[in-house]
Amino acid sequence: MLAITRSGLAGTVFFLIALLALPALADGQWIKIFISTGCFVIAASGVAFMYSRLGMVSLGQVALMGVGGWVTLRMNHAFNLPFEINVAVAGAVTLVFGWLLALPALRMRGLYLALITLMAAGGLEVIFSTFRFPNGGPGFWGVMPSVAAPFRRPWIAQSDTAYLRYIMAAAFFGFVLIELHRRMAPGRAWAMIRRSEAAALASGVNVVYYKAWAFGLSGFLAGVAGGLLAGGLGLLDAATFRASESIMLFALSVVGGARFWLGAVIAGVLYRVMPALFSNWGINSDLTLVIFGAALLHAIMTAPDGLSGQILQAFGKVTRRA
Amino acid sequence: MIELVDLTVTFGGVTALDNVSAVFTKPVNGIIGPNGAGKTTTMNVISGFLKCSGHIRYNDEEIGRLPAYKRTRWGLRRSFQREQIADDLSILDNLKVILDVTPGGRAQKAADAEQALEATGLAPRAHTMAGELNTFERRLVDVARCLVGKPKIVMFDEPGGGLSREEAARLGDLILKVPEITGATTLVIDHDVDLISRICAETLVLDFGKRIAFGETAAVLGDPKVKAAYLGVEEVDS
Ligand SMILES: Nc1ncnc2c1ncn2[C@@H]1O[C@H](COP(=O)(O)OP(=O)(O)O)[C@@H](O)[C@H]1O
Ligand SMILES: [Mg+2]
Repeated sequence: MLAITRSGLAGTVFFLIALLALPALADGQWIKIFISTGCFVIAASGVAFMYSRLGMVSLGQVALMGVGGWVTLRMNHAFNLPFEINVAVAGAVTLVFGWLLALPALRMRGLYLALITLMAAGGLEVIFSTFRFPNGGPGFWGVMPSVAAPFRRPWIAQSDTAYLRYIMAAAFFGFVLIELHRRMAPGRAWAMIRRSEAAALASGVNVVYYKAWAFGLSGFLAGVAGGLLAGGLGLLDAATFRASESIMLFALSVVGGARFWLGAVIAGVLYRVMPALFSNWGINSDLTLVIFGAALLHAIMTAPDGLSGQILQAFGKVTRRA
Repeated sequence: MIELVDLTVTFGGVTALDNVSAVFTKPVNGIIGPNGAGKTTTMNVISGFLKCSGHIRYNDEEIGRLPAYKRTRWGLRRSFQREQIADDLSILDNLKVILDVTPGGRAQKAADAEQALEATGLAPRAHTMAGELNTFERRLVDVARCLVGKPKIVMFDEPGGGLSREEAARLGDLILKVPEITGATTLVIDHDVDLISRICAETLVLDFGKRIAFGETAAVLGDPKVKAAYLGVEEVDS
């Protein structure tokens, strides 16, 4: 069960290289971009595994990040707890929040989950832009104009470079968490659910329970990702969590290839690094939308395992067990 | 002993099963009937996939009210007309998914899976991904899944469909061994009369959702009503 696959080995090597090289090579602005890229990679890993392992489409992942971010900021400004506790609470609250929203849809087949998560994302967009994110102000919503109270990062990761490494480690553990699930009872149950509901029932799988488990894991990852994103800047902006962003992250996860860790990394890079590159080069960053659209068509028509599938294949790394 | 009492299923206005009753007492029993007779519907009802009126009992224990996944945990196993194994799991993992929800210790489950793989001849390929298997091997995995976790009832829906004669014969031999290996009462659905008459001691004949005969297989197949409704169509005169 602890045997490492070739894809896993490639991922570990990639992680170690990135851990050493990325903070050393990048300058101030890019460090910040990579920090948020890492957060979106974590969130993308959640939607990607739900899609590839269960065939479930969630269009609310970035909105759930917003929930995690909100809780983290709220905790940070209300109590004097360590960062890790705030983020853990954010993950747990987001998990439960996601469950409450999705449970009715998890009982149904088909596209209900996609619809209900998209509606939730729309609702959260309104709530976030109305009430905004806590920045140390008074009351429940905790918002004060213009200035923001300080944000406590993890004590081992005070600087931006250290925090980038911290994010990469978190992403790595996120992938390990998903992989462990895949190899144990939940992963087997998910595979049967993806095959068909009849297959799952004939295997004794409680379909709603295991769908809820998957959605909970994905929601937990979104919540943690949102909390980590809050730590990047010390504050959050409602515009980050618009419903359209959730759709975008799902689409890019398909483009990246939902079956592999590399797919979520590509999704995060396309989502966050590409627009930054474009604006650096003075190209209108809306052009990225056109490119993403083309890439999505490409993925749907010719590359069912996405770009990561093609890349891993090119390196001869794809085994059936990847 | 499997006891079906007054099973009735309707889809909209169509009555797919009409007050069907039967008591299967032999180790391997059959259900036959022409296409659309209600054979798969009967199996789906026993599996808990469809709502129905009536009773389903195993040795006087009512199982007709359990949700489908709990029937599997209780000891019901089935194969499908189109096999339903997960391509992205290994052969072994396709068995483990059932062992995950049935009682027993680790070592016991490993031995259980090993026995099922040996019986089906899949043991050397236990770690092969199911997606790499051919039609017959996939069918064998479906059978192996029916052997694990101490089943009480095992059902096969047209196990010989899509297989060559030789493969179907091998599968028939394997099915005959199911009660020996597991102690489960076995139900085989097919419209292949040869297969049924070879392996099933008792047989239920359905036509248009109605029971038209039930009893010892040879006697049932000799019944003029059965010949008229079913065997005539298939031009079988053995
Ligand atoms: N889900 C369903 N919805 C509506 N009608 C169905 C359904 N399943 C089966 N039927 C109908 O019930 C009858 C029996 O079907 P089935 O049990 O599949 O027959 P078979 O004996 O060939 O396995 C057929 O007339 C079929 O069209
Ligand atoms: Mg049928």
